[in-house]
Amino acid sequence: MRAYLRHPFWQAVGLFVLAYLVIVFVIPMLPGSAMVPSSVVLQYMATVLVGILIWVSDDEARWTTFKEPLHEVLIQPRLKLVRNGLLAAVTLVVGCLTYSQVKASVAAPPNLRSIHPAPPSQITFRGKTITLVGLENPLRKQGEMAPHVAQGRRIYYQNCVPCHGDHLDGQGHFASGFNPLPANFQDNGTIAQLTESFVFWRIAKGGPGLPREGTPWNSAMPAWEDYLTENEIWSVVLFLYDQTGWKPRTWEVSGGAK
Amino acid sequence: MEAEDVGSERGGQVMAVGRLGGWAVGLAILLTAEPTNRLTAQDTTAGKHVYQKWCAGCHGDNGAGDGPAAKHMIPPPRDFTGAIYQIRSTPSGQLPTDADLLRSIDEGLFGTAMPGWKSRLSDRQRRDVLAYIKTFSSFFTDTTQRPQPIAFGSAPGGGGAEALKVGRQLYDSIGCRKCHGDQGRGDGPSAPTLKDDAGHPIFATNLHENWRFNGGGTVEDIYHRLRTGLDGTPMPSFSDLLENKFLTDEQLWRVAQYVRSLSPKETPVVRDVLHAPLAKRLPHSPDDSAWTAVDVYWFPLVGQIVHKQRWFAPAVTGVWVKAVHTADSIALRVVWDDRSESPDTAWLGHIGRVLASLDTDDSTREQPAPWPDQLAVQFPVTIPSGMERPYFLMGSASAPVYQWRWSSSSRSAAVAGLARGIDRFDPLPGGAPGAQAVYDHGQWRVVFTRALASADTASQFPFRSGRAIPVAFFASDGSNGEHGTRMAISTWYFLALDEPVPARVFISPVLAMVLTLGLGMLVVWRAQQKTSYRKGRQ
Repeated sequence: MRAYLRHPFWQAVGLFVLAYLVIVFVIPMLPGSAMVPSSVVLQYMATVLVGILIWVSDDEARWTTFKEPLHEVLIQPRLKLVRNGLLAAVTLVVGCLTYSQVKASVAAPPNLRSIHPAPPSQITFRGKTITLVGLENPLRKQGEMAPHVAQGRRIYYQNCVPCHGDHLDGQGHFASGFNPLPANFQDNGTIAQLTESFVFWRIAKGGPGLPREGTPWNSAMPAWEDYLTENEIWSVVLFLYDQTGWKPRTWEVSGGAK
Repeated sequence: MEAEDVGSERGGQVMAVGRLGGWAVGLAILLTAEPTNRLTAQDTTAGKHVYQKWCAGCHGDNGAGDGPAAKHMIPPPRDFTGAIYQIRSTPSGQLPTDADLLRSIDEGLFGTAMPGWKSRLSDRQRRDVLAYIKTFSSFFTDTTQRPQPIAFGSAPGGGGAEALKVGRQLYDSIGCRKCHGDQGRGDGPSAPTLKDDAGHPIFATNLHENWRFNGGGTVEDIYHRLRTGLDGTPMPSFSDLLENKFLTDEQLWRVAQYVRSLSPKETPVVRDVLHAPLAKRLPHSPDDSAWTAVDVYWFPLVGQIVHKQRWFAPAVTGVWVKAVHTADSIALRVVWDDRSESPDTAWLGHIGRVLASLDTDDSTREQPAPWPDQLAVQFPVTIPSGMERPYFLMGSASAPVYQWRWSSSSRSAAVAGLARGIDRFDPLPGGAPGAQAVYDHGQWRVVFTRALASADTASQFPFRSGRAIPVAFFASDGSNGEHGTRMAISTWYFLALDEPVPARVFISPVLAMVLTLGLGMLVVWRAQQKTSYRKGRQ
């Protein structure tokens, strides 16, 4: 057993297995982590393999010892069974892999979606032209914030909760029925990255108002200009930032937010 | 009161006693409760802050279940002022324990709009909000009367077929079927009359969807609900049947095991591509034995809340779909649970309660009418080559969709047509698919059949094998007030008519295997040659 532990070949095999176990079982258990997708596992394992090979070939003596068991399997008459078994196994694996690659299987077409497509410079809101470039939330300059936020809160709960959820995390009770999933406003990749004018545009025009790269045919987001006034939409925008604690991206700092 | 709705013959009388007994206990608490030991303001300030921020939107500023979202969901949010809670570990009529309340906060109530807050709020925040919620009702102020959980014990062993048979017999004899129906789909004779204590409409739970059971779907969860009842709803406690020796504890566990057995072992997983294998013969009938061998797919449906008039309380939770095809035809079988064979005037009262519970986009509230049940299956007009498709919600004026529409008012006839938006449907002349429908104990089973490519290819969607065909589903339960735009919808999924594996597919794997084996043998041969060469030189 000790001889095995010291042998570079078995050390390499051990390291390889250990790396696999860590990537597949340990990483998902770390806080804030998730299952590693199989394609990423493949990449990691390839890197590990290269690393191990560099390590074993780094020292001439180690490299020679490393090769020994492999060589033994190839030539030793007493290992004939292992040799033939390995040959058959490798051949079978290659056959199966090739079959899974070439067999005809219909998959859902890739859904390449731009999550934050470039907004238009101006939109028509119920017949009124609104220029989005440089536009700020007008309610931020209209007296006390609290009543505006309260109005936004009421509208949010009456209209947005089924999809975007009580926690604004896109996990409302209807969310799982839709694809793409409703936007998660708690995530640092949505409203935290956007100007309020962008959010206003997305609410006002909804799924049907997306450009082609935003896959407008899949989005269940209504065009809220059919339901809400300009003022009401701005109050909801205000509520989204107030409730999540994010700050909108501003025109002054970024110059031209997309 | 409710006992009249749920009770029947012998079991009903026993239940009525149990229910009244529960209320007597509740009344006793009410009479003896004194506002002593009031929680100090300091204790609940933090909880109030959390409540106002995350809970008041549904449950209301004063805990009366009347927040701005309240009229956009069924069941409505809990009214904390009455301190009547469904999910408890305590006997019927008693207050829940703190652990009971915390569980509902942490896990949410499945099948409702109440999410689980465990991952969303900190431990501290959830405990604070729990303390605050209790201040809405004076029932909680008497801290000398701590609610005591029932000692539930654990499930008896031997839950095999024999045990399920016992459970099934008891399910009938203690009156479950009065509301939950013969097959457990919530379609019993009393189902249309059900309302909660506040008069809100309430469905008898469909026992085939345990992932939507409010208090959880395990055998233990179900047994606990049987023991405690769902206070405030027509679901009684069956603990009194144990006390009266009408049932043994083991028998009640058998009922729980039987109820659990009605749902799938695992919560259904949504798969994007519905595979239709090649069959020798096309099954036209919903109950053709050929369907049993075909893989089934679950597609969840949710309320149509995109276009006016929106619908926040859909009754159809999803569809189970199977598909097969032959060389020239396709058969698609859609199965969904629906408590009523609409149109059915027995449900008019329920429709009225549903419509009264919801805010609408209409200025005037519609009058209940016996609407039929409806189903639509949607495809594009042609199979898209790229990823672009028509708008998922019934297309648009410029990019229509091809649909099959079926209605329970003309069961064995479906219509094919083009939808150009949610409110425009133009039937295609002479293009109706075959349709056969069965209504069976709370479940519709409908089979559509059609030629893959019809003679009139210009107007009928041409099915082709080996391609991902976008497909979507829409369903309305007329007896839940659904018609027109009030329905349950899905987004695009895909249908694939699988082709048999052609022989040429096996060529490359065989080639690869021969090559690998050859290379391997070459390596072995070379290594052995080298060794014997060296040996020869020594």
